[in-house]
Amino acid sequence: MITGDLKATYAADERVLNNGYKQAFVLAMAALCALMPFIANDYIILVASQMGIMLIAVVGVNVVIGYTGLLSLGHAAFMAIGAYSVPILHRLMDNIGLPDGIMPFIAIPGAIAISAIVGIIVGLPSLRVKGLYLAVATLSANFIIIFLIELEALAPWTGGLVGLNTPDPNILGWVFDTQREMFALIAALAFVTILAIQNLFRTRVGRAFIAIRERDYSAEILGISLFRYKLMSFAISAACCRLAGALFAYFYARILPEQFELALSLQLVAALIVGGMGRTMGPVFGVMIIVMVPEVLKFTFGMVAGGAAEVAQLRAPVQEIVFGLLIIFFLMFEPLGINQLVDRGIRALNRWPFARG
Amino acid sequence: MGEFIQFTLNGLMSGAIYALIAVGIVSVFKATKVVNFAHGYIIMFGAYFYFTFSVIVPGAAWAPDWLQSWEPAWMVAMKADLPMFSPMGAVLDWLSNLPRIILGLAGAVICNALLGLLIERTLMRPLIGQSTFAMIMITVGLISVLSGTKGLIWTADAEFVPHIAPNTPIRLNLFDTPIFLFGADLVNVAVALLLFGAIVAMVRYTKSGVAIRATAEDQSTAYSMGISVPRVFSRAWVLAATTGAIAGAILATRNGVSPSLGLFGFSVLAIVLMGGLDSYVGVFIAALTVGFLEAMAQWQFGGEFAEVVPYIAVLVVILIRPHGLFGQKEVERI
Repeated sequence: MITGDLKATYAADERVLNNGYKQAFVLAMAALCALMPFIANDYIILVASQMGIMLIAVVGVNVVIGYTGLLSLGHAAFMAIGAYSVPILHRLMDNIGLPDGIMPFIAIPGAIAISAIVGIIVGLPSLRVKGLYLAVATLSANFIIIFLIELEALAPWTGGLVGLNTPDPNILGWVFDTQREMFALIAALAFVTILAIQNLFRTRVGRAFIAIRERDYSAEILGISLFRYKLMSFAISAACCRLAGALFAYFYARILPEQFELALSLQLVAALIVGGMGRTMGPVFGVMIIVMVPEVLKFTFGMVAGGAAEVAQLRAPVQEIVFGLLIIFFLMFEPLGINQLVDRGIRALNRWPFARG
Repeated sequence: MGEFIQFTLNGLMSGAIYALIAVGIVSVFKATKVVNFAHGYIIMFGAYFYFTFSVIVPGAAWAPDWLQSWEPAWMVAMKADLPMFSPMGAVLDWLSNLPRIILGLAGAVICNALLGLLIERTLMRPLIGQSTFAMIMITVGLISVLSGTKGLIWTADAEFVPHIAPNTPIRLNLFDTPIFLFGADLVNVAVALLLFGAIVAMVRYTKSGVAIRATAEDQSTAYSMGISVPRVFSRAWVLAATTGAIAGAILATRNGVSPSLGLFGFSVLAIVLMGGLDSYVGVFIAALTVGFLEAMAQWQFGGEFAEVVPYIAVLVVILIRPHGLFGQKEVERI
């Protein structure tokens, strides 16, 4: 039994932040993000922005894998579509002659719509196939989309193998041309995304997703249209990934097709497994670990080798091994992820000094 | 017409090798209900082990000379008399490479069997009885571990390795167009087909094959009938890893060893799903079909289109038949 978590009213029980720890954590994070552009150095801003972009994507993956229980290995492709539709839409709007200041307002929702449609198309097999077959179907979709991006014939639009230069967002005349400004935008959107997804699971739609995860046939018997909700799940998740992709394109000066290959899909899944599937905070913890691993390795290798080229070469393989081992370790020893560890810690804290665990 | 036949033959030959790779995925799935996403990387390890034992070890300073290149006096004498590019010359070249080819194959098979055993013992066995989702995701994590480990051990890229058979060109005339085949390719196909047939026969007729099928049917019943399920699991993994080693060696002789061999596994995974996960016949047909379609795509549209053929094919097939061409439909109970 969970103690020290008394609720006197239904309203208190239904709140998003239904205990003091959550309130404290969210407020602290919000304050930290608000202060960061003013106090942090460039390096921290860079890492934090990467975290924010990954976070939005992993929240999207969580909707499909964690809440709806559909195994998807193709989410990097949605990010790719998001990232590529930004410069393409910008160019289209340039041709029409729209002012720069309102472009992001059209580019972001427009491309979210594109990606949601692609999400629905990729999600279509999920109506016929389940589990593994779906994982391979989405994996195939990932390969096909990357192939289309790299295709010579489409190179005038997608830049082919060499990638595309991306514009800086200009919101009503305010040009986000430094990473610091971009970080503020990313942090704000990340907060909004998490809140929106958390709220989704307090509605009929979210509960339908969870019912599908638990047992899809039972859900159908209860009157949940599998067709509608599975596709909706894919569309929502694709839209999140697409937002992450758009921010990715705005954040970096150039996008390349190889950034969105299988490795990214695996990273997204790794972050979700490490953090905890089907939990709001899972992606947050997972992304922190997954983004910190390369940075910690960079730091350690710098300390050990001091810039020796032969040792520095080993960093990329070691990083891959660490990612893989993280997935394996959490699956074997803590399948519910860091979220569960944190829950356990909080519970112990609540009961202290009367009981442990 | 002649070109069509040439590409068809090429496609069927690569299809046979796909079938050899696919047999590893199917065997593991049949016994353990786990789809091995990392099989491509196990193949890559097989290829790199073959490279190690057939190129690096014979080239080492401490290795005897005959291992690097076996040239007894009679062979030197025979070679001296031969014209350039004669079939006999290719056979003699192969003979002088034979010691290191044998060492390479033996080393690859043994090391890969150990690798398969290691994976099964440390990663799969602790999870027996739990949901297969965790096991499958572990093989996904294994992708990163294996490809990273490869990067730590071998830095070589696109290195060439000796063919496992004499690479004599064979020239045929069909419909007035010349058709070229290579001896090594034909032997590769023969090896692939033989192994495939041997494994299918093994599963059907031998005692351990019956054990595998019983475990596939129902694990707890198999247990109570006196079958050691963990042993069946490790046998299946060793079988997959050893066939993977040979497939890896064959692939390495075709295109050289490179990390892209790992990605090859994903197209084979697509083929396996297309054929139906638990059907050897279906997988064999799917492998040949995809090989053929790839060759056609290569012929008509160019090389880069061949890469996505398996993925498009699998999407089409599982949209029409969700359990693959010959897969058994799972009966679900609520």
